[in-house]
Amino acid sequence: MIGGLFIYNHKGEVLISRVYRDDIGRNAVDAFRVNVIHARQQVRSPVTNIARTSFFHVKRSNIWLAAVTKQNVNAAMVFEFLYKMCDVMAAYFGKISEENIKNNFVLIYELLDEILDFGYPQNSETGALKTFITQQGIKSQTKEEQSQITSQVTGQIGWRREGIKYRRNELFLDVLESVNLLMSPQGQVLSAHVSGRVVMKSYLSGMPECKFGMNDKIVIEKQGKGTADETSKRCLRQESCGKQSIAIDDCTFHQCVRLSKFDSERSISFIPPDGEFELMRYRTTKDIILPFRVIPLVREVGRTKLEVKVVIKSNFKPSLLAQKIEVRIPTPLNTSGVQVICMKGKAKYKASENAIVWKIKRMAGMKESQISAEIELLPTNDKKKWARPPISMNFEVPFAPSGLKVRYLKVFEPKLNYSDHDVIKWVRYIGRSGIYETRC
Amino acid sequence: MPAVSKGDGMRGLAVFISDIRNCKSKEAEIKRINKELANIRSKFKGDKALDGYSKKKYVCKLLFIFLLGHDIDFGHMEAVNLLSSNKYTEKQIGYLFISVLVNSNSELIRLINNAIKNDLASRNPTFMCLALHCIANVGSREMGEAFAADIPRILVAGDSMDSVKQSAALCLLRLYKASPDLVPMGEWTARVVHLLNDQHMGVVTAAVSLITCLCKKNPDDFKTCVSLAVSRLSRIVSSASTDLQDYTYYFVPAPWLSVKLLRLLQCYPPPEDAAVKGRLVECLETVLNKAQEPPKSKKVQHSNAKNAILFETISLIIHYDSEPNLLVRACNQLGQFLQHRETNLRYLALESMCTLASSEFSHEAVKTHIDTVINALKTERDVSVRQRAADLLYAMCDRSNAKQIVSEMLRYLETADYAIREEIVLKVAILAEKYAVDYSWYVDTILNLIRIAGDYVSEEVWYRVLQIVTNRDDVQGYAAKTVFEALQAPACHENMVKVGGYILGEFGNLIAGDPRSSPPVQFSLLHSKFHLCSVATRALLLSTYIKFINLFPETKATIQGVLRAGSQLRNADVELQQRAVEYLTLSSVASTDVLATVLEEMPPFPERESSILAKLKRKKGPGAGSALDDGRRDPSSNDINGGMEPTPSTVSTPSPSADLLGLRAAPPPAAPPASAGAGNLLVDVFDGPAAQPSLGPTPEEAFLSELEPPAPESPMALLADPAPAADPGPEDIGPPIPEADELLNKFVCKNNGVLFENQLLQIGVKSEFRQNLGRMYLFYGNKTSVQFQNFSPTVVHPGDLQTHILSGPAQPPASPRRPSSPWGSRLTQLAVQTKRVAAQVDGGAQVQQVLNIECLRDFLTPPLLSVRFRYGGAPQALTLKLPVTINKFFQPTEMAAQDFFQRWKQLSLPQQEAQKIFKANHPMDAEVTKAKLLGFGSALLDNVDPNPENFVGAGIIQTKALQVGCLLRLEPNAQAQMYRLTLRTSKEPVSRHLCELLAQQF
Repeated sequence: MIGGLFIYNHKGEVLISRVYRDDIGRNAVDAFRVNVIHARQQVRSPVTNIARTSFFHVKRSNIWLAAVTKQNVNAAMVFEFLYKMCDVMAAYFGKISEENIKNNFVLIYELLDEILDFGYPQNSETGALKTFITQQGIKSQTKEEQSQITSQVTGQIGWRREGIKYRRNELFLDVLESVNLLMSPQGQVLSAHVSGRVVMKSYLSGMPECKFGMNDKIVIEKQGKGTADETSKRCLRQESCGKQSIAIDDCTFHQCVRLSKFDSERSISFIPPDGEFELMRYRTTKDIILPFRVIPLVREVGRTKLEVKVVIKSNFKPSLLAQKIEVRIPTPLNTSGVQVICMKGKAKYKASENAIVWKIKRMAGMKESQISAEIELLPTNDKKKWARPPISMNFEVPFAPSGLKVRYLKVFEPKLNYSDHDVIKWVRYIGRSGIYETRC
Repeated sequence: MPAVSKGDGMRGLAVFISDIRNCKSKEAEIKRINKELANIRSKFKGDKALDGYSKKKYVCKLLFIFLLGHDIDFGHMEAVNLLSSNKYTEKQIGYLFISVLVNSNSELIRLINNAIKNDLASRNPTFMCLALHCIANVGSREMGEAFAADIPRILVAGDSMDSVKQSAALCLLRLYKASPDLVPMGEWTARVVHLLNDQHMGVVTAAVSLITCLCKKNPDDFKTCVSLAVSRLSRIVSSASTDLQDYTYYFVPAPWLSVKLLRLLQCYPPPEDAAVKGRLVECLETVLNKAQEPPKSKKVQHSNAKNAILFETISLIIHYDSEPNLLVRACNQLGQFLQHRETNLRYLALESMCTLASSEFSHEAVKTHIDTVINALKTERDVSVRQRAADLLYAMCDRSNAKQIVSEMLRYLETADYAIREEIVLKVAILAEKYAVDYSWYVDTILNLIRIAGDYVSEEVWYRVLQIVTNRDDVQGYAAKTVFEALQAPACHENMVKVGGYILGEFGNLIAGDPRSSPPVQFSLLHSKFHLCSVATRALLLSTYIKFINLFPETKATIQGVLRAGSQLRNADVELQQRAVEYLTLSSVASTDVLATVLEEMPPFPERESSILAKLKRKKGPGAGSALDDGRRDPSSNDINGGMEPTPSTVSTPSPSADLLGLRAAPPPAAPPASAGAGNLLVDVFDGPAAQPSLGPTPEEAFLSELEPPAPESPMALLADPAPAADPGPEDIGPPIPEADELLNKFVCKNNGVLFENQLLQIGVKSEFRQNLGRMYLFYGNKTSVQFQNFSPTVVHPGDLQTHILSGPAQPPASPRRPSSPWGSRLTQLAVQTKRVAAQVDGGAQVQQVLNIECLRDFLTPPLLSVRFRYGGAPQALTLKLPVTINKFFQPTEMAAQDFFQRWKQLSLPQQEAQKIFKANHPMDAEVTKAKLLGFGSALLDNVDPNPENFVGAGIIQTKALQVGCLLRLEPNAQAQMYRLTLRTSKEPVSRHLCELLAQQF
């Protein structure tokens, strides 16, 4: 189990140090700083073993979080916990930065006491934590309140307290996806996958039971077997839509989802925590809609000149608008000058990053745009050839590149008098680029 | 253009560096660097010329970026441009960049070399120094090739500044160390020595470093430096601390120079000139005196400098090893340091004393410190110091203090560091053996050793104790008793079980009378350990059991029961199984008489060098040699145990015979005497029984086979000489050994070398020939430690030659006679006169035999050399071909091309010519071929053959009766790897014979 948890700033100074077990000594703090933060070579592995002690670290901006243990723990569990810890801190005080951590160190110690006990992770649900760890200073709680918190935290549904009331029962559902791609210069897809999250914000009264449905291939086919005529109808309808069901490679759920029900009926039903939470994560690899196609053209003119032309084509419905488009074209290491011409957006040579960065604010579907650049090179002594790193791209599109569709989200609250129809539901799809690269 | 005079500070650089230092993260740093690199690239693009200042600034930035760990692949050109600047700062940065980031681009190298050349030729001392430093810093081969010739010139030039000379000396030193072959020796070497007299101390210091390095290769060239160094040293030593102002370091005058001078003197033997020597001794005494004076300063630097000189002085004294007075004084001085607070000083003192102990003059003086050293061994906190203390104890040990030292070392062994245990074990074993007065003490010591540090007792150690016990009747009973007692301990080491098993098996009967150690008790004691031991030990124990059956018939039933048990008869290990089966059958089938013969007590081992010593040497490496030689230099150590002692020369020099011959380079140090070579006991143990004619059958051998680790050479290999088993009759010469022809061929083109070598004997040859006369020295080296008896080498001509002899015109043939007659053998073709040699050849010794040879007429077969002797009772005989071939009597003849062709035509009869076309056996190298032809004896004629690839030679074979003119022509064909050899002489057989002889050489 986790023996201790340290938070460092970028210089390796310790901001937070909490030791849970005696087998972790004080020198462990220094060992990590010396061997990882100040290491001569950049340490890439998130797990480092120093003198039979394992250090698991994650980095958020300039802040290092490191969990330490001497035992043989489940590394995935430790990282899950570290990420959760980041989420909790972000929920309490926003961005994780050195200043925020310094300003909230009392709170962080309080949280660390609560979410880890003798190294075992405990309830780390922000909603639940916020009921008894607050930033507003000490608020004397009545006995009833205290016992209520206790029963809630130790009860079956630890993530939601009872007696929540809203005048307007609202529900927000975001499907956030990031699409990753590696394409050959000829336009052949070498690898592509989408990793997505379904994030929910619920403002519902009482203890509502929710049911979430999407165009998961297995569910659709199962239903198809159930009623034949209905299937044919649905099939027709789906074909008319154009997009069929999708195959999800793997998925994980928030703790509120009843896994037994998912296993038996593959239906996602849950009592949601109050406020924002991540309902599920998934990954797909098949039938991905690639929002952009990058066509590179690089020509070396002699030893001192390079001509680059890049065309991007948007490949989605013309009615949709992609945003925040950024194309990054790497330049050789001996670049001595760059001239850029582009039709649309702004392009600039950024010497500090060895790349031409081309930014376009908005771009509609089924359009294309191009940039051409002349790169002057300084003749060097080395015969080393330029490695030609891939051209990468960033964007944001208002649809899910995996093709995921929310079919329904039903809310049942038998005790209170509101029904599914009274709940206001908002659904939004955002597709972002992950590592979206084309070789040139 | 901006004004160049911006001062030395480069603001841009300072800003850049502070930017980098302020970066919050690695990524930010990389971004900043990339930006700067792009900036520099755009500046270097070459659109407009940069002024020197900005060039310098950007090159500096590049250098800084490189030092941060990024690759820099441009900017070299700009740096080279800076070299030609006239401003010091710009030039300096240019050189700095070049020496850090030297690039193998040939174009650039040329430019750089050019710039350096210009600077070296300039009269500006700072520029010259910069260039010299750059050459030294780069120090590559190319640089060496370009400048190695110039630097000595600068070094000895009269008008060079001091600082330039200093730099030149150090630069030359660097180049010499990097590639010694590039630095040409020349007339400058003599002048370098005179730099020792230079006014400037810095120049002298640099020069001493250079000379010390150079004189290691060519000591003779620099011999004159000794007297100069002595006078310089005496001037420094006798100067007051204020005399040498800048070169006085914490009240010590020029400590570095003094140390270097002392080191230089250590490269040479003591000076012969009495005046110089007197002056030097005076110096050394002054240094020793100064060590006694109270320190002038409490600072550690003062004492460090003083001690550095002192220790160097002491090592010089040890190196000379000729001044008893000084040696003793040095020893006393070191004795003071032994109790010094400073650990480093104690370490150095122990180390130096180790070498002092080996000098006969100071051995006694060292011995007075024994208590301190023992104390150091026990209480010292630093393991390396303890190690030195152990070394010193070993070095100072002699008969008088052996008991004390051995017991102290044994006591220390219990708590010793694991790293040095094995070494201490070996040392104890050696000391105990070497200085044993009575063998019960020896046996006690070794058994103690096994008890205390069983794991570290190597096989050699316990083999050795067994050998000694077997060879010494007086100690056998005691050994058996002691072993028996030792085995009674509840837990005893496996090595102890091995020793116990062997000794009880051999000599258990000696203690069987005591009811406490009656045969059944002995057996059950041994058998109680049986199951805890490894296979090898169990095998040994099985042999012990079968020996018990012979010694104590009453145990036969019990032992047969043990052998019959399934765990033995069906043991998974094939060795154990075989032994069990064979011993069981042997015990039941053979009668008591047979058993008694088969299982007889082991015969004594031949006395030979202790294999432990060889092991210790191997372990310590060559560096430790001096410390180990102590006993040998100690004249008192070679008496009672003489037989056990290693013969000095066999151990200390790898191949004594080769050395005497002055052929160090010829063969690799021939496999040294058996024990040192294989390092195992195989030879030790097996020689004896193998040479014994009444050798028992297999069980006896099997019994021994535990004692031998699997070795590459079988025991019989020793006897695998060509010696026939039967003693040949006195006049009867065996046929030459199969390799004889091959051995002979090696000597066709050379006169000196090792003719023959096996495990016992090495025969070296050194010969010279003039006209028809020759003198040959044969060196017979005994490689074993046992004396050869009846040693008699004989030279004869093979019998089948007699007919030829008869047909010859000269004197009547003489039958080969024994070498006792002054004229060994006289032949019509070849007269060989031998001198008699001593009949005994001591172990490790070498005898010389002189042969006078006269060639009477041409001959074809070489005479035979037959060597006969008795080794360990067994007769050995060996017949070789004496390396005398007709070509030895060649007289080279120089002639012009015309002459040659004229004679060539004269010898045009078909029977006068012999031609051979053959394939090359060796790589076709013109130089090698030339050397071989010259060695063959003919003159090589240049510019005779129209084809320069071909070799042409001429000569006359001188015999008493006639002279045979001889012309030869060798045509190599490199493509086909073939040669065509043509020989024309006035005599047909000679042509053919020479052709055959020569053809085998290529």
